[in-house]
Amino acid sequence: MAKLIKIDSVYKIYSEGLESEVRALDGVSLEIDKGEFVAIVGQSGSGKSTMMNVLGCLDIPTRGDFYLNGVDVKTLSDKELSRIRNKEIGFIFQQYNLIQSLTVLENVELPLIYQGIEAGERKRMAKEALERVGLAGREKHKPVQMSGGQQQRVAIARAIATKPNIVMADEPTGALDSHTGKDILSFLQQLNRLGTTVILITHDNSIADTAKRIVRLQDGKIIEDRTKEVDW
Amino acid sequence: MLTVLSIFIGIAAVMTIVSVMEGMKAKTAEMYSAMGSNRITVSIYSWMYDEQGNSMNTKDYYPELSSFCSSIPDKVIGVTPNGYCNATVVYGTKSSANMEYQYDDNWNYISGPPQLYYGSEQYAMCNNLKLVKGRDLAVLDLEKYNNVCVLGSEAYTAFFGKLDPIGKEMQFNGTNYEVIGVYAPRSEDGSNKSMDNFILIPYTAKRTLGGEINNFVVKAKDSKTLKEAISLIGGFLKGAVNTATGGYDVYSENTWQQQENETLNMIGLILGGIAAISLLVGGIGIMNIMLVTVTERTKEIGIRRAIGATKGSIIAQFLVEAGMLCGMGGIIGIAIGYVASIILGHLILQMSILPPVWVTLLTFTLSVVLGLLFGSYPAAQAAKLQPVEALRAE
Repeated sequence: MAKLIKIDSVYKIYSEGLESEVRALDGVSLEIDKGEFVAIVGQSGSGKSTMMNVLGCLDIPTRGDFYLNGVDVKTLSDKELSRIRNKEIGFIFQQYNLIQSLTVLENVELPLIYQGIEAGERKRMAKEALERVGLAGREKHKPVQMSGGQQQRVAIARAIATKPNIVMADEPTGALDSHTGKDILSFLQQLNRLGTTVILITHDNSIADTAKRIVRLQDGKIIEDRTKEVDW
Repeated sequence: MLTVLSIFIGIAAVMTIVSVMEGMKAKTAEMYSAMGSNRITVSIYSWMYDEQGNSMNTKDYYPELSSFCSSIPDKVIGVTPNGYCNATVVYGTKSSANMEYQYDDNWNYISGPPQLYYGSEQYAMCNNLKLVKGRDLAVLDLEKYNNVCVLGSEAYTAFFGKLDPIGKEMQFNGTNYEVIGVYAPRSEDGSNKSMDNFILIPYTAKRTLGGEINNFVVKAKDSKTLKEAISLIGGFLKGAVNTATGGYDVYSENTWQQQENETLNMIGLILGGIAAISLLVGGIGIMNIMLVTVTERTKEIGIRRAIGATKGSIIAQFLVEAGMLCGMGGIIGIAIGYVASIILGHLILQMSILPPVWVTLLTFTLSVVLGLLFGSYPAAQAAKLQPVEALRAE
């Protein structure tokens, strides 16, 4: 069976050939199986965010191959990439990235709208996702009326509303206090136990420790790829 | 909001202009149909004026024209002078000097002083008039300079109420005229009432009451003979009128009406052009606002793209927003246009104009189309953003 994610000698180079050339990803190869919980760790500027953008089909690598579910991502059109981001991947960002003018429920509904699901079913699915993150009853609130932790939970609800195979979390606890951060991480672990592949991007080693596998990046290269023996 | 302002001013202007133009056309059409169709207007004019500024063309062309017309009876069925004079009309205690124009709340004509028309015994034939009382003008009335008159239905009611007017004497500028007949109203429902407020006198009374007769109305047998009649009469006038000191025109009122409509259309186009500039400015404003919106909402676009929005759905979102913005402006504009049409209709045309449904639909469509048109560039800009770059925006 094909790997869920397979990247082979992937480069992401900015200003290539110029003096200011930056190699955000410098020949990275990586395979991720379905159901894994991978933390991509590295310091600021190590290329971990670029890595997430590439893996999340938000950005196109300069060179190299990227297979998602055995499909060569390079050959996909913009529309097909949008469909993959919509159905296969759920994103959680450090700054939550909720749309402030929409209510909590509308934010969670958004990816379902782009899937073309009819209104009634859409509302039901969005409410279900909000219940799973413990925010039932807050549907009509605007994001500004909520705390950071709650907003991040809304973002998680939005990410899981479409029941994606992969959840990508970019510094999901970065803007939260440690206690709330732990809640979020344990929620991600719970998601993973139910079969979702989770990719966690962080600079914090202690947070990376919640993952089963740690991939460490430095200067656009993988310097460590370690799977923990212990079952947590 | 200011941007929408120019859209709705433009839309209101377009709406009002088109409505008023349509109203004017309807009004002319109504007037012409009341007088009957297949009418030919003959006008004979002079370029020479005496020291008092009066036309030196004092020749009476009617007898010649009339006898020419009766020589082509298979083409022409009537001819009459078409002129008026400004005499004061008095009967008993009632005088036209004390009559003022009155209108109802909808600016429909109620009453006013009567018009004194010069005509021949064929005036009724040429103007779709039917006699209900007494007798009509006769050839002898013209030849003998009889002081007689026939009343239009409104003039009859104004001076006599329900009394029998036949044989009564009215004074026009102090001269006695005997009422010999009354015409029926032109329409049952009372529209064109103002056109029935007239008194017809033999045109030969001109020598005492004054005024000028430069126009004649010739009634063709039908629309087929209309053209032939025009060219025949044209040929006759060529020989009869001294073209060194004057000239003549022969034209069917259908073409006159057409020309009037064309003039109206032209005015409408010019005014519409001005309104279009306002719409253009508004449209550019909308485009500008939308471009700013795209910049302000780059992050949102990035988020939407990240969670699965295609380029198409981003374009659709911005187009819908621009369309709605302009559509809203359009609705306000239409409302203002409605009010303006009604007010202008009363002020200019003395009639109630309600903008036709097609004008409303057209202007609304126009406003939405404008939104889509001027929204498409910002929408395309929004869709062009790379998801990852858009997400990075703050």
